[in-house]
Amino acid sequence: MLVSSTDSEFAAAAAQVQNLVQQVQAGQMSPDEFNELLADLQRQLEIVQDASRLQFKEVLNTCINGLITIISNM
Amino acid sequence: MRKLLLLLVLALNGCAIYDSYFMTGFDGNEYQLITQIRVDASRFVKQCGSPSATANAVQIAYETEMFEKYSEQLPRNVDGHKASIELNQIAQGLQERYEVGAPVSSAFCRVKYSSIENSAKILQHVIGDRPR
Repeated sequence: MLVSSTDSEFAAAAAQVQNLVQQVQAGQMSPDEFNELLADLQRQLEIVQDASRLQFKEVLNTCINGLITIISNM
Repeated sequence: MRKLLLLLVLALNGCAIYDSYFMTGFDGNEYQLITQIRVDASRFVKQCGSPSATANAVQIAYETEMFEKYSEQLPRNVDGHKASIELNQIAQGLQERYEVGAPVSSAFCRVKYSSIENSAKILQHVIGDRPR
């Protein structure tokens, strides 16, 4: 159910957790490794949030510089 | 028109405008570092379980630490530095596993490098978009 979330980042993270659980159950990785990968998922979501904030500032920077150009040409 | 533009500017949060206008510009070294991490992660993921796996983990951890330390001292780069810390933690976790001599599964190694590569790709995009 979580995998079909409308939030693409959340859905991708949920799908990855599901995949990891299957690998642990199949004995392809240890529970200890699984715990670390779960922590990594949290870190990746933080990176996405930091990147989103940076992206927003970059767009705003472009807009401000555009406005300054327009105003200075008036 | 001039009043409309002024209103638009005033409607935005003052701090957001300040942060955006004075944000860190494009830095070729920073872009190269994150590109190197992405490329190496995409190559190392294919070598999980091979004899070079330990050396690869040490190499990627060195690169992410270099990226973090480089980002740390860039002015007005709070978000970039926070992201670099997270990325470095992902890579250090892989190196530590090999260092303690614990068995490292190929599945774990592959997921680690995929996480590093995906995160590096996201960061490469925003670093490349920095104002010039």
